[in-house]
Amino acid sequence: MSVTSPVSTTAVQATGIWKVFNEGQANEVTALQDINLTVAPGEFISLIGPSGCGKSTLLRVIADLTQPTKGSAEVAGMSAAEARKQQRYGMAFQQAALFDWRTVQRNVELPLELQGWSKSDRAARAMELLEMVQLADFASHRPWELSGGMQQRVAIARSLAVDPPLLLMDEPFGALDEMTRERMQNELLRIRQETGKSVIFVTHSIPEAVYLSDRVVVMSPRPGRITDIVSVSLGERDEDTREADAFYASVTEVREALRGRTSGGAARARVGEV
Amino acid sequence: MNGRLRAVWPPVIIAVIFLAAWQLLVVVQDIKPFLLPSPSLILGNFFGDFSLMFNAALYTGTTAILGLMFGTVVGLVTALIAQRFGVVNKLITPLAAGLATVPIIALTPILNNMFSITSRTPKVIITMIIVFFPIFVNVTRGLIQVQPVQLELMRSMNARPRTVLRQLRIPNAIPFFFTAMKIAAPLSVIAALVSEYFGGPQQGLGSRIASSAANTAYGRAWAYVVASIITGLIFYLIVLAVERWAAPWTGRARSA
Repeated sequence: MSVTSPVSTTAVQATGIWKVFNEGQANEVTALQDINLTVAPGEFISLIGPSGCGKSTLLRVIADLTQPTKGSAEVAGMSAAEARKQQRYGMAFQQAALFDWRTVQRNVELPLELQGWSKSDRAARAMELLEMVQLADFASHRPWELSGGMQQRVAIARSLAVDPPLLLMDEPFGALDEMTRERMQNELLRIRQETGKSVIFVTHSIPEAVYLSDRVVVMSPRPGRITDIVSVSLGERDEDTREADAFYASVTEVREALRGRTSGGAARARVGEV
Repeated sequence: MNGRLRAVWPPVIIAVIFLAAWQLLVVVQDIKPFLLPSPSLILGNFFGDFSLMFNAALYTGTTAILGLMFGTVVGLVTALIAQRFGVVNKLITPLAAGLATVPIIALTPILNNMFSITSRTPKVIITMIIVFFPIFVNVTRGLIQVQPVQLELMRSMNARPRTVLRQLRIPNAIPFFFTAMKIAAPLSVIAALVSEYFGGPQQGLGSRIASSAANTAYGRAWAYVVASIITGLIFYLIVLAVERWAAPWTGRARSA
Protein backbone atom coordinates (compact mmCIF):
# COMPACT_ATOMS: atom_id res chain seq x y z
CA MET A 1 0.00 0.00 0.00
CA SER A 2 1.40 3.34 -0.96
CA VAL A 3 1.50 6.15 1.54
CA THR A 4 0.03 8.66 -0.85
CA SER A 5 -3.70 8.47 -1.29
CA PRO A 6 -4.60 5.54 -3.52
CA VAL A 7 -7.01 6.58 -6.21
CA SER A 8 -10.32 5.64 -4.70
CA THR A 9 -13.76 6.06 -6.13
CA THR A 10 -15.31 6.44 -2.69
CA ALA A 11 -14.38 8.84 0.09
CA VAL A 12 -16.07 6.72 2.72
CA GLN A 13 -17.54 3.25 2.51
CA ALA A 14 -19.46 1.91 5.51
CA THR A 15 -20.47 -1.72 5.16
CA GLY A 16 -22.86 -3.54 7.51
CA ILE A 17 -21.81 -1.60 10.61
CA TRP A 18 -23.28 -2.65 13.93
CA LYS A 19 -22.40 -1.11 17.25
CA VAL A 20 -23.82 -2.69 20.38
CA PHE A 21 -23.04 -1.31 23.83
CA ASN A 22 -23.12 -3.59 26.92
CA GLU A 23 -23.62 -6.61 24.72
CA GLY A 24 -25.36 -9.50 26.46
CA GLN A 25 -26.24 -7.45 29.52
CA ALA A 26 -29.61 -6.18 30.71
CA ASN A 27 -28.79 -2.63 29.57
CA GLU A 28 -27.77 -3.67 26.06
CA VAL A 29 -28.16 -0.85 23.53
CA THR A 30 -27.95 -1.19 19.78
CA ALA A 31 -26.44 2.15 18.81
CA LEU A 32 -26.00 1.24 15.16
CA GLN A 33 -27.88 -1.43 13.23
CA ASP A 34 -26.59 -2.55 9.87
CA ILE A 35 -25.38 0.80 8.54
CA ASN A 36 -24.46 0.93 4.87
CA LEU A 37 -23.34 4.24 3.44
CA THR A 38 -21.19 5.38 0.55
CA VAL A 39 -19.81 8.90 0.31
CA ALA A 40 -18.42 10.01 -3.05
CA PRO A 41 -15.26 12.13 -3.26
CA GLY A 42 -16.14 15.80 -2.87
CA GLU A 43 -19.61 15.01 -1.54
CA PHE A 44 -21.13 16.81 1.45
CA ILE A 45 -23.19 14.45 3.63
CA SER A 46 -25.13 15.36 6.76
CA LEU A 47 -26.17 12.87 9.42
CA ILE A 48 -29.34 14.01 11.14
CA GLY A 49 -31.62 12.49 13.74
CA PRO A 50 -32.78 12.78 17.34
CA SER A 51 -30.48 12.14 20.30
CA GLY A 52 -29.51 8.52 20.58
CA CYS A 53 -29.88 7.73 16.89
CA GLY A 54 -26.18 6.89 16.68
CA LYS A 55 -25.08 9.69 14.34
CA SER A 56 -22.08 10.62 16.49
CA THR A 57 -21.26 6.96 17.04
CA LEU A 58 -21.25 6.40 13.27
CA LEU A 59 -18.88 9.34 12.84
CA ARG A 60 -16.60 7.91 15.54
CA VAL A 61 -16.55 4.50 13.85
CA ILE A 62 -15.50 6.15 10.58
CA ALA A 63 -12.83 8.14 12.49
CA ASP A 64 -11.58 4.93 14.17
CA LEU A 65 -12.22 6.49 17.57
CA THR A 66 -14.43 3.54 18.44
CA GLN A 67 -14.61 -0.01 17.09
CA PRO A 68 -17.73 -1.38 15.40
CA THR A 69 -19.19 -4.59 16.86
CA LYS A 70 -19.69 -5.88 13.31
CA GLY A 71 -18.98 -4.55 9.84
CA SER A 72 -16.27 -2.20 8.64
CA ALA A 73 -15.59 1.36 7.57
CA GLU A 74 -13.20 2.37 4.82
CA VAL A 75 -11.81 5.83 4.27
CA ALA A 76 -10.09 6.68 0.96
CA GLY A 77 -9.89 2.99 0.09
CA MET A 78 -8.16 1.89 3.29
CA SER A 79 -9.35 0.69 6.68
CA ALA A 80 -10.50 3.36 9.13
CA ALA A 81 -7.55 2.53 11.41
CA GLU A 82 -5.05 2.90 8.58
CA ALA A 83 -6.72 6.13 7.46
CA ARG A 84 -6.38 7.55 10.96
CA LYS A 85 -2.69 6.57 11.11
CA GLN A 86 -2.10 8.21 7.75
CA GLN A 87 -4.14 11.27 8.67
CA ARG A 88 -6.58 10.88 5.79
CA TYR A 89 -9.23 12.84 7.66
CA GLY A 90 -9.47 15.94 9.84
CA MET A 91 -11.92 16.22 12.67
CA ALA A 92 -13.86 19.04 14.34
CA PHE A 93 -16.08 18.73 17.40
CA GLN A 94 -18.86 20.74 19.04
CA GLN A 95 -16.26 22.09 21.45
CA ALA A 96 -13.40 23.78 19.66
CA ALA A 97 -11.02 21.82 21.96
CA LEU A 98 -8.23 24.36 21.51
CA PHE A 99 -5.25 24.22 23.83
CA ASP A 100 -5.16 27.29 26.09
CA TRP A 101 -1.39 27.08 26.44
CA ARG A 102 -0.86 27.52 22.71
CA THR A 103 -1.44 30.60 20.60
CA VAL A 104 -4.01 30.43 17.82
CA GLN A 105 -1.28 29.79 15.27
CA ARG A 106 0.34 27.04 17.32
CA ASN A 107 -3.05 25.38 17.79
CA VAL A 108 -3.36 25.15 14.01
CA GLU A 109 0.21 23.83 13.85
CA LEU A 110 -0.48 20.99 16.30
CA PRO A 111 -1.31 18.26 13.73
CA LEU A 112 1.70 19.31 11.65
CA GLU A 113 3.93 19.16 14.71
CA LEU A 114 2.76 15.60 15.40
CA GLN A 115 3.66 14.79 11.79
CA GLY A 116 7.15 16.15 12.27
CA TRP A 117 6.95 19.20 9.98
CA SER A 118 9.75 21.73 10.30
CA LYS A 119 9.07 24.91 12.21
CA SER A 120 9.09 27.23 9.22
CA ASP A 121 6.90 24.91 7.11
CA ARG A 122 4.45 24.68 9.99
CA ALA A 123 4.26 28.43 10.39
CA ALA A 124 3.76 29.00 6.65
CA ARG A 125 0.99 26.39 6.43
CA ALA A 126 -0.74 27.69 9.58
CA MET A 127 -0.76 31.25 8.25
CA GLU A 128 -2.18 30.04 4.93
CA LEU A 129 -5.03 28.30 6.80
CA LEU A 130 -5.65 31.22 9.14
CA GLU A 131 -5.98 33.43 6.11
CA MET A 132 -8.51 31.00 4.69
CA VAL A 133 -10.64 31.23 7.85
CA GLN A 134 -9.95 34.99 7.98
CA LEU A 135 -8.15 34.95 11.31
CA ALA A 136 -4.62 35.82 10.21
CA ASP A 137 -4.69 38.92 12.43
CA PHE A 138 -5.31 36.73 15.47
CA ALA A 139 -2.40 34.32 14.93
CA SER A 140 -0.61 35.32 18.12
CA HIS A 141 -3.75 35.59 20.28
CA ARG A 142 -4.68 33.04 22.90
CA PRO A 143 -7.82 30.93 22.34
CA TRP A 144 -9.69 32.44 25.29
CA GLU A 145 -9.41 35.90 23.72
CA LEU A 146 -11.55 34.74 20.78
CA SER A 147 -15.34 34.48 20.47
CA GLY A 148 -16.98 31.06 20.16
CA GLY A 149 -17.35 31.38 16.39
CA MET A 150 -13.72 32.42 15.97
CA GLN A 151 -12.57 29.51 18.13
CA GLN A 152 -14.56 27.15 15.92
CA ARG A 153 -12.92 28.62 12.82
CA VAL A 154 -9.51 27.94 14.38
CA ALA A 155 -10.63 24.36 15.02
CA ILE A 156 -11.67 24.02 11.37
CA ALA A 157 -8.33 25.43 10.22
CA ARG A 158 -6.62 22.86 12.46
CA SER A 159 -8.70 20.03 10.97
CA LEU A 160 -7.55 21.11 7.49
CA ALA A 161 -3.88 21.42 8.46
CA VAL A 162 -2.55 18.18 6.98
CA ASP A 163 -4.76 18.68 3.91
CA PRO A 164 -6.83 15.50 4.38
CA PRO A 165 -9.36 14.59 1.66
CA LEU A 166 -12.13 14.14 4.26
CA LEU A 167 -13.56 16.30 7.04
CA LEU A 168 -15.52 14.70 9.89
CA MET A 169 -17.54 17.27 11.82
CA ASP A 170 -19.53 16.49 14.96
CA GLU A 171 -22.05 19.32 15.50
CA PRO A 172 -19.30 21.92 15.09
CA PHE A 173 -21.76 24.85 15.12
CA GLY A 174 -24.06 23.40 17.78
CA ALA A 175 -22.98 25.85 20.48
CA LEU A 176 -23.13 28.99 18.33
CA ASP A 177 -25.92 31.56 18.06
CA GLU A 178 -28.08 31.56 14.95
CA MET A 179 -26.42 34.50 13.17
CA THR A 180 -22.90 33.25 13.78
CA ARG A 181 -24.07 29.82 12.76
CA GLU A 182 -25.30 30.96 9.34
CA ARG A 183 -22.06 32.86 8.73
CA MET A 184 -20.07 29.77 9.67
CA GLN A 185 -22.13 27.64 7.29
CA ASN A 186 -21.27 30.00 4.42
CA GLU A 187 -17.61 29.92 5.47
CA LEU A 188 -17.62 26.15 5.51
CA LEU A 189 -19.19 25.92 2.04
CA ARG A 190 -16.63 28.38 0.70
CA ILE A 191 -13.73 26.45 2.22
CA ARG A 192 -15.14 23.21 0.90
CA GLN A 193 -15.45 24.78 -2.56
CA GLU A 194 -11.85 25.99 -2.42
CA THR A 195 -10.44 22.69 -1.20
CA GLY A 196 -12.77 20.09 -2.74
CA LYS A 197 -12.98 18.06 0.47
CA SER A 198 -15.57 15.42 1.23
CA VAL A 199 -17.48 16.23 4.40
CA ILE A 200 -19.52 14.18 6.85
CA PHE A 201 -21.39 16.60 9.07
CA VAL A 202 -23.39 15.61 12.15
CA THR A 203 -26.16 18.01 13.11
CA HIS A 204 -29.62 18.13 14.64
CA SER A 205 -30.67 21.22 12.70
CA ILE A 206 -32.78 20.47 9.64
CA PRO A 207 -32.16 23.81 7.83
CA GLU A 208 -28.45 23.48 8.48
CA ALA A 209 -28.36 19.96 7.04
CA VAL A 210 -30.32 21.01 3.95
CA TYR A 211 -28.33 24.20 3.35
CA LEU A 212 -24.96 22.46 3.53
CA SER A 213 -25.50 19.03 2.05
CA ASP A 214 -25.68 17.18 -1.20
CA ARG A 215 -27.43 14.38 0.68
CA VAL A 216 -29.03 14.30 4.11
CA VAL A 217 -28.87 10.94 5.88
CA VAL A 218 -31.86 10.62 8.20
CA MET A 219 -31.39 8.36 11.20
CA SER A 220 -33.70 7.16 13.94
CA PRO A 221 -33.03 5.72 17.40
CA ARG A 222 -33.57 2.42 19.23
CA PRO A 223 -31.99 0.81 17.32
CA GLY A 224 -29.90 3.50 15.60
CA ARG A 225 -30.37 3.05 11.87
CA ILE A 226 -30.62 4.90 8.58
CA THR A 227 -34.29 5.38 7.72
CA ASP A 228 -34.02 7.61 4.68
CA ILE A 229 -31.58 9.51 2.50
CA VAL A 230 -32.78 12.82 1.07
CA SER A 231 -30.98 14.29 -1.94
CA VAL A 232 -30.76 18.05 -2.00
CA SER A 233 -30.24 19.85 -5.30
CA LEU A 234 -30.09 23.54 -4.64
CA GLY A 235 -27.10 24.32 -6.83
CA GLU A 236 -24.75 27.09 -5.75
CA ARG A 237 -25.77 28.41 -2.32
CA ASP A 238 -26.09 32.11 -1.54
CA GLU A 239 -28.11 34.24 0.86
CA ASP A 240 -31.27 33.82 -1.24
CA THR A 241 -31.04 30.05 -1.04
CA ARG A 242 -32.33 30.09 2.54
CA GLU A 243 -35.55 31.72 1.35
CA ALA A 244 -36.03 29.74 -1.86
CA ASP A 245 -39.03 27.44 -2.34
CA ALA A 246 -36.75 24.54 -3.24
CA PHE A 247 -34.99 25.01 0.12
CA TYR A 248 -38.29 24.83 2.03
CA ALA A 249 -39.32 21.81 0.00
CA SER A 250 -36.16 19.98 1.00
CA VAL A 251 -36.57 21.05 4.64
CA THR A 252 -40.10 19.65 4.60
CA GLU A 253 -38.92 16.45 3.00
CA VAL A 254 -36.25 15.93 5.67
CA ARG A 255 -38.70 16.82 8.43
CA GLU A 256 -41.20 14.27 7.22
CA ALA A 257 -38.50 11.66 6.85
CA LEU A 258 -37.59 12.34 10.49
CA ARG A 259 -41.23 11.82 11.47
CA GLY A 260 -41.02 8.49 9.76
CA ARG A 261 -43.44 9.00 6.87
CA THR A 262 -42.80 9.51 3.22
CA SER A 263 -43.60 12.95 1.92
CA GLY A 264 -47.26 13.33 0.98
CA GLY A 265 -47.78 12.60 -2.70
CA ALA A 266 -44.92 14.56 -4.21
CA ALA A 267 -42.59 11.96 -5.58
CA ARG A 268 -39.23 13.61 -5.08
CA ALA A 269 -36.04 12.31 -6.46
CA ARG A 270 -34.54 10.28 -3.70
CA VAL A 271 -31.33 8.35 -3.78
CA GLY A 272 -32.86 5.37 -2.09
CA GLU A 273 -31.31 2.56 -0.18
CA VAL A 274 -27.61 2.85 -0.70
CA MET B 1 -0.58 50.90 36.65
CA ASN B 2 -3.41 53.00 37.95
CA GLY B 3 -5.46 49.88 38.51
CA ARG B 4 -2.63 48.18 40.34
CA LEU B 5 -2.21 51.17 42.68
CA ARG B 6 -5.91 51.13 43.36
CA ALA B 7 -5.64 47.47 44.30
CA VAL B 8 -2.71 48.11 46.65
CA TRP B 9 -4.03 51.07 48.65
CA PRO B 10 -7.08 49.62 50.45
CA PRO B 11 -5.21 46.81 52.26
CA VAL B 12 -2.37 49.25 53.16
CA ILE B 13 -4.81 51.73 54.67
CA ILE B 14 -6.61 48.99 56.59
CA ALA B 15 -3.27 47.70 57.93
CA VAL B 16 -2.27 51.19 59.11
CA ILE B 17 -5.63 51.74 60.84
CA PHE B 18 -5.38 48.30 62.44
CA LEU B 19 -1.86 48.94 63.78
CA ALA B 20 -2.84 52.38 65.09
CA ALA B 21 -5.85 50.92 66.92
CA TRP B 22 -3.67 48.16 68.34
CA GLN B 23 -1.07 50.68 69.57
CA LEU B 24 -3.80 52.84 71.11
CA LEU B 25 -5.39 49.88 72.86
CA VAL B 26 -2.10 48.75 74.40
CA VAL B 27 -1.17 52.28 75.59
CA VAL B 28 -4.59 53.31 76.88
CA GLN B 29 -5.38 50.01 78.60
CA ASP B 30 -1.77 49.63 79.77
CA ILE B 31 -1.62 46.03 78.54
CA LYS B 32 1.53 44.21 79.63
CA PRO B 33 3.89 42.96 76.87
CA PHE B 34 3.58 39.29 77.91
CA LEU B 35 -0.11 39.56 77.04
CA LEU B 36 0.16 41.75 73.98
CA PRO B 37 3.17 43.88 73.06
CA SER B 38 2.51 47.10 71.17
CA PRO B 39 3.30 47.36 67.44
CA SER B 40 5.93 49.99 68.19
CA LEU B 41 7.74 47.59 70.56
CA ILE B 42 7.58 44.76 68.01
CA LEU B 43 8.75 46.89 65.11
CA GLY B 44 11.42 48.46 67.29
CA ASN B 45 12.77 45.00 68.03
CA PHE B 46 12.41 43.98 64.41
CA PHE B 47 14.45 46.83 62.98
CA GLY B 48 16.73 47.07 66.01
CA ASP B 49 17.87 43.47 65.61
CA PHE B 50 17.40 43.31 61.88
CA SER B 51 20.53 41.25 61.19
CA LEU B 52 19.40 38.66 63.78
CA MET B 53 16.00 38.55 62.13
CA PHE B 54 17.55 38.25 58.71
CA ASN B 55 19.89 35.41 59.68
CA ALA B 56 17.12 33.47 61.41
CA ALA B 57 14.86 33.89 58.37
CA LEU B 58 17.72 32.81 56.13
CA TYR B 59 18.28 29.63 58.14
CA THR B 60 14.62 28.62 58.29
CA GLY B 61 14.04 29.77 54.72
CA THR B 62 16.86 27.52 53.51
CA THR B 63 15.32 24.53 55.29
CA ALA B 64 11.95 25.42 53.76
CA ILE B 65 13.35 25.76 50.23
CA LEU B 66 15.20 22.44 50.43
CA GLY B 67 12.08 20.69 51.74
CA LEU B 68 9.92 22.45 49.16
CA MET B 69 12.20 21.40 46.31
CA PHE B 70 12.51 17.76 47.32
CA GLY B 71 8.84 17.49 48.26
CA THR B 72 7.82 19.00 44.91
CA VAL B 73 10.06 16.69 42.91
CA VAL B 74 8.81 13.60 44.77
CA GLY B 75 5.21 14.82 44.42
CA LEU B 76 5.58 15.41 40.66
CA VAL B 77 7.25 12.07 39.98
CA THR B 78 4.66 10.21 42.05
CA ALA B 79 1.85 12.02 40.21
CA LEU B 80 3.32 11.01 36.83
CA ILE B 81 3.53 7.38 37.95
CA ALA B 82 -0.01 7.51 39.35
CA GLN B 83 -1.35 8.91 36.06
CA ARG B 84 0.47 6.31 33.98
CA PHE B 85 -0.67 3.33 36.05
CA GLY B 86 -4.21 3.53 37.36
CA VAL B 87 -3.55 0.67 39.79
CA VAL B 88 -0.65 2.55 41.32
CA ASN B 89 -2.89 5.58 41.71
CA LYS B 90 -5.36 3.54 43.75
CA LEU B 91 -2.48 2.24 45.92
CA ILE B 92 -0.66 5.52 46.39
CA THR B 93 -3.54 7.88 47.09
CA PRO B 94 -4.56 6.30 50.44
CA LEU B 95 -0.89 6.09 51.41
CA ALA B 96 -0.37 9.74 50.53
CA ALA B 97 -3.46 10.70 52.50
CA GLY B 98 -2.11 8.70 55.43
CA LEU B 99 1.20 10.50 55.14
CA ALA B 100 -0.61 13.84 55.16
CA THR B 101 -2.25 13.02 58.48
CA VAL B 102 1.01 12.07 60.22
CA PRO B 103 1.32 14.52 63.12
CA ILE B 104 4.58 16.33 62.45
CA ILE B 105 4.82 17.29 66.10
CA ALA B 106 5.08 13.59 66.96
CA LEU B 107 7.29 12.69 64.04
CA THR B 108 9.92 15.38 64.49
CA PRO B 109 11.49 13.99 67.69
CA ILE B 110 11.65 10.54 66.06
CA LEU B 111 13.38 11.89 62.96
CA ASN B 112 15.70 13.87 65.24
CA ASN B 113 16.74 10.55 66.73
CA MET B 114 17.06 8.78 63.39
CA PHE B 115 19.20 11.51 61.85
CA SER B 116 21.64 13.79 63.58
CA ILE B 117 19.66 16.31 65.62
CA THR B 118 22.29 18.95 64.88
CA SER B 119 21.85 18.58 61.14
CA ARG B 120 19.19 20.16 58.98
CA THR B 121 18.11 16.76 57.62
CA PRO B 122 15.18 15.92 59.94
CA LYS B 123 13.66 19.38 59.37
CA VAL B 124 13.99 19.10 55.61
CA ILE B 125 12.29 15.69 55.72
CA ILE B 126 9.40 17.07 57.76
CA THR B 127 8.97 19.92 55.29
CA MET B 128 9.11 17.46 52.39
CA ILE B 129 6.32 15.37 53.87
CA ILE B 130 4.13 18.42 54.32
CA VAL B 131 4.81 19.72 50.81
CA PHE B 132 4.42 16.38 49.06
CA PHE B 133 0.69 15.92 49.60
CA PRO B 134 -0.84 19.05 47.99
CA ILE B 135 1.55 18.75 45.05
CA PHE B 136 0.80 15.07 44.48
CA VAL B 137 -2.99 15.39 44.79
CA ASN B 138 -3.34 18.47 42.58
CA VAL B 139 -0.90 17.48 39.86
CA THR B 140 -2.38 13.98 39.60
CA ARG B 141 -5.79 15.53 39.10
CA GLY B 142 -4.42 17.92 36.47
CA LEU B 143 -2.82 15.04 34.55
CA ILE B 144 -5.98 12.93 34.63
CA GLN B 145 -8.70 15.56 34.31
CA VAL B 146 -8.27 16.34 30.64
CA GLN B 147 -11.28 17.26 28.48
CA PRO B 148 -12.42 14.00 26.81
CA VAL B 149 -12.81 15.87 23.52
CA GLN B 150 -9.15 16.90 23.65
CA LEU B 151 -8.17 13.25 24.13
CA GLU B 152 -10.30 12.27 21.13
CA LEU B 153 -8.70 15.03 19.11
CA MET B 154 -5.22 13.72 19.97
CA ARG B 155 -6.29 10.21 19.02
CA SER B 156 -7.78 11.44 15.73
CA MET B 157 -4.35 12.94 15.02
CA ASN B 158 -2.73 9.58 15.77
CA ALA B 159 -0.78 10.90 18.77
CA ARG B 160 1.21 8.41 20.86
CA PRO B 161 0.60 8.25 24.64
CA ARG B 162 3.93 9.97 25.20
CA THR B 163 2.90 12.83 22.91
CA VAL B 164 -0.46 13.07 24.69
CA LEU B 165 1.42 13.35 27.97
CA ARG B 166 3.77 16.04 26.72
CA GLN B 167 1.38 18.07 24.59
CA LEU B 168 -1.84 17.72 26.58
CA ARG B 169 -1.63 16.24 30.08
CA ILE B 170 1.40 18.11 31.39
CA PRO B 171 0.34 21.56 30.11
CA ASN B 172 -3.15 20.83 31.47
CA ALA B 173 -1.64 20.07 34.90
CA ILE B 174 0.39 23.29 35.13
CA PRO B 175 -2.41 25.49 36.58
CA PHE B 176 -3.10 22.70 39.11
CA PHE B 177 0.61 22.65 39.95
CA PHE B 178 0.68 26.38 40.69
CA THR B 179 -2.45 26.16 42.79
CA ALA B 180 -0.68 23.50 44.84
CA MET B 181 2.50 25.58 45.05
CA LYS B 182 0.57 28.54 46.41
CA ILE B 183 -0.48 26.31 49.29
CA ALA B 184 2.78 24.42 49.64
CA ALA B 185 5.25 27.33 49.57
CA PRO B 186 4.01 29.24 52.66
CA LEU B 187 3.27 25.88 54.30
CA SER B 188 6.92 24.86 53.86
CA VAL B 189 8.01 27.85 55.95
CA ILE B 190 5.58 26.91 58.72
CA ALA B 191 6.71 23.27 58.61
CA ALA B 192 10.39 24.24 58.77
CA LEU B 193 9.68 26.64 61.63
CA VAL B 194 7.62 24.19 63.71
CA SER B 195 10.18 21.42 63.24
CA GLU B 196 12.74 23.67 64.98
CA TYR B 197 10.73 23.55 68.22
CA PHE B 198 12.11 20.10 68.96
CA GLY B 199 15.75 20.91 69.43
CA GLY B 200 18.71 21.11 67.13
CA PRO B 201 20.53 24.20 65.91
CA GLN B 202 19.21 27.41 67.46
CA GLN B 203 19.59 29.82 64.52
CA GLY B 204 16.12 29.34 63.03
CA LEU B 205 12.98 31.44 63.43
CA GLY B 206 11.17 28.70 65.35
CA SER B 207 13.95 28.27 67.89
CA ARG B 208 14.31 32.06 68.26
CA ILE B 209 10.60 32.59 68.88
CA ALA B 210 10.62 29.83 71.53
CA SER B 211 13.76 31.06 73.30
CA SER B 212 12.77 34.74 73.20
CA ALA B 213 9.40 33.93 74.74
CA ALA B 214 11.10 31.75 77.39
CA ASN B 215 13.37 34.71 78.24
CA THR B 216 10.35 37.03 78.59
CA ALA B 217 11.60 39.05 75.59
CA TYR B 218 8.08 39.23 74.18
CA GLY B 219 8.73 42.14 71.86
CA ARG B 220 11.54 40.18 70.24
CA ALA B 221 9.49 36.96 70.07
CA TRP B 222 6.82 38.87 68.16
CA ALA B 223 9.43 40.49 65.96
CA TYR B 224 10.52 36.98 64.93
CA VAL B 225 6.87 36.19 64.19
CA VAL B 226 6.85 39.23 61.89
CA ALA B 227 10.02 37.92 60.20
CA SER B 228 8.29 34.51 59.75
CA ILE B 229 5.26 36.12 58.14
CA ILE B 230 7.47 38.10 55.77
CA THR B 231 9.41 34.94 54.85
CA GLY B 232 6.18 33.08 54.09
CA LEU B 233 4.88 36.01 52.03
CA ILE B 234 8.10 36.15 50.01
CA PHE B 235 7.71 32.45 49.21
CA TYR B 236 4.13 33.05 48.11
CA LEU B 237 5.00 36.07 45.97
CA ILE B 238 7.82 34.17 44.25
CA VAL B 239 5.31 31.46 43.27
CA LEU B 240 2.91 34.12 41.94
CA ALA B 241 5.67 35.72 39.87
CA VAL B 242 6.85 32.41 38.44
CA GLU B 243 3.27 31.45 37.57
CA ARG B 244 2.68 34.70 35.73
CA TRP B 245 5.87 34.22 33.77
CA ALA B 246 5.63 30.49 33.07
CA ALA B 247 1.88 29.99 32.66
CA PRO B 248 0.22 33.23 31.57
CA TRP B 249 -2.96 31.37 30.61
CA THR B 250 -3.79 30.20 34.14
CA GLY B 251 -6.56 31.94 35.98
CA ARG B 252 -8.19 32.85 32.66
CA ALA B 253 -11.60 31.69 31.63
CA ARG B 254 -10.86 28.46 29.84
CA SER B 255 -11.93 28.17 26.23
CA ALA B 256 -14.41 25.47 25.33
